[in-house]
Amino acid sequence: MAASSSRGSAVNPSGAKKARGVPALAPWLGVATLALMVASLFMVFEYVPTEAEQGIVQRIFYFHVPCAWVAFAAFGLVAISGAFYLWLGDQIWDDLGYASAEIGMVFCTLVLITGSLWAKPIWGAWWTWDSRLTTTFILWLLYGGYLMLRAMADDTPEVARFGAVVGIVAALDVPVIIVSVRLWRTIHPAVLVTRQGGHGLEDPRMVATLLVATVAFTVMFAWLLMLRFAQLRLRTRMKELRRQLALAEASAGDL
Amino acid sequence: MQNFGYLFAAYSIIFAVIFFYVMFIWRRQAGLEAEVRAIEARLKELGQSSPAAPANSSRAGQ
Amino acid sequence: MRAMGAFAAILRKDLRLELRSGQSTVALFALSLLILVVLVFTLSPDPANRAEASAGALWVAMVFAGMLGATRALLAENENGCMRALATSPIDPAMLYAAKLAAAFIFMTVAEGAAVILVVLFFNLEFGPELLRLAPPVVLGTLGFSALATLLAAISGRTRAGDLLLPLLAVPMFVPALIAGVKASAAALSGAELSAMTRWLGVLVAFDVLFVTLGGLLFEHVIGED
Repeated sequence: MAASSSRGSAVNPSGAKKARGVPALAPWLGVATLALMVASLFMVFEYVPTEAEQGIVQRIFYFHVPCAWVAFAAFGLVAISGAFYLWLGDQIWDDLGYASAEIGMVFCTLVLITGSLWAKPIWGAWWTWDSRLTTTFILWLLYGGYLMLRAMADDTPEVARFGAVVGIVAALDVPVIIVSVRLWRTIHPAVLVTRQGGHGLEDPRMVATLLVATVAFTVMFAWLLMLRFAQLRLRTRMKELRRQLALAEASAGDL
Repeated sequence: MQNFGYLFAAYSIIFAVIFFYVMFIWRRQAGLEAEVRAIEARLKELGQSSPAAPANSSRAGQ
Repeated sequence: MRAMGAFAAILRKDLRLELRSGQSTVALFALSLLILVVLVFTLSPDPANRAEASAGALWVAMVFAGMLGATRALLAENENGCMRALATSPIDPAMLYAAKLAAAFIFMTVAEGAAVILVVLFFNLEFGPELLRLAPPVVLGTLGFSALATLLAAISGRTRAGDLLLPLLAVPMFVPALIAGVKASAAALSGAELSAMTRWLGVLVAFDVLFVTLGGLLFEHVIGED
């Protein structure tokens, strides 16, 4: 609530300059993302040993898993900001949720694509209805629906509430989806849960590579979220300015 | 170097998708900033001719 | 007590309207019929895995007929401003949700009963006691679907292209109940042990509890005025 009241002084040029554009931290996060990405790429292609059974395709894994982590974190954030939006009613939460859903969708798409590119040489098929693949795909559909809702409707507080409700319902549906799909079928290698079947990360260098890549993707997520969130804040501000302009023009016309 | 194509494709697609997403944000940002600047300039103009500019801040969530 | 009175009044109103016109139930039944006809032609008429095919057909009919039924019901409500009036009335939104959910559940259950008979006829099944074992998954699935559709149709009914939006939102969310429902129905029709059904029924119960609760809690935000 405090954040929205400071926007009242829109005509004040110094305040306006501060509110506009990208946050000061964003370029630094961008640089950090770039550095960490270079480090991860070096580790993936030079440092880490090749996995014995699967060969070099296994290296997809080091970016595939961080993409999944970012997608799940982003979708979780959609639900959390949705709850805060319904509770406090401040547009800032809706902007955060919308930005997060969009970025989550980008990474969820990457999870599906990279997973497919790994599955073709290893499993011999681009796609199987394995439990994790299915769950991820349903998540993709769920948040695709969320983004369709945002795309098809206007940017009104009502639609922001709809988005919050859908975000919350979707996130709480996920555990039920996971259970039902797991009962349905499972062949995905259980990399981090159990270490059976030779799919565990035997070499400590593999663990290190996965960790660095995960940090890199987390920082990238923060960077992208900051950029898109600041943009949606700016859009919210623009709508308010438009409203003020319409009022000012109407009152100027009266004189 | 068996299956190198799949590995190459996976990493290229990751970076391509992220690159295009950043470009998408970038291009919108320029447009938005220009529009905000234009509206602010127009508001200032109006504010000078008629100082009774309404200063009611909105609570967008209501 | 007053809350229960409001619930009963709204439900009575919906049921009376339905008894007079029969629109929703007939529309649901007609759609189920057409979907089943399409499925009979697209699947082979006498499939080897008859239990699974007929269970699948039943659930496809349920999901798609239910989707169109829910859209129609809410569009009608929005058209004459009834929902708006109910939203501004002092009725507890959770009660309003419960009444709408109950009405949708009753219409869908009636249509489902008819659809089961059609499935038996179309897929050459027997009218026997195993059909009774179909009741738990179908009733639980219908309840879950009504809970989901009542909440989401209130959203999609107030946006452009809402009839397209409803399936986009509802089908992915309904997936767990769909998986569990089809598996449990197939087990029921193939005359398997009751224990083969229990874990699927568990998933259905969890789904129903979750969505009825969520709908009751969140309906207020969906119908609220600005």
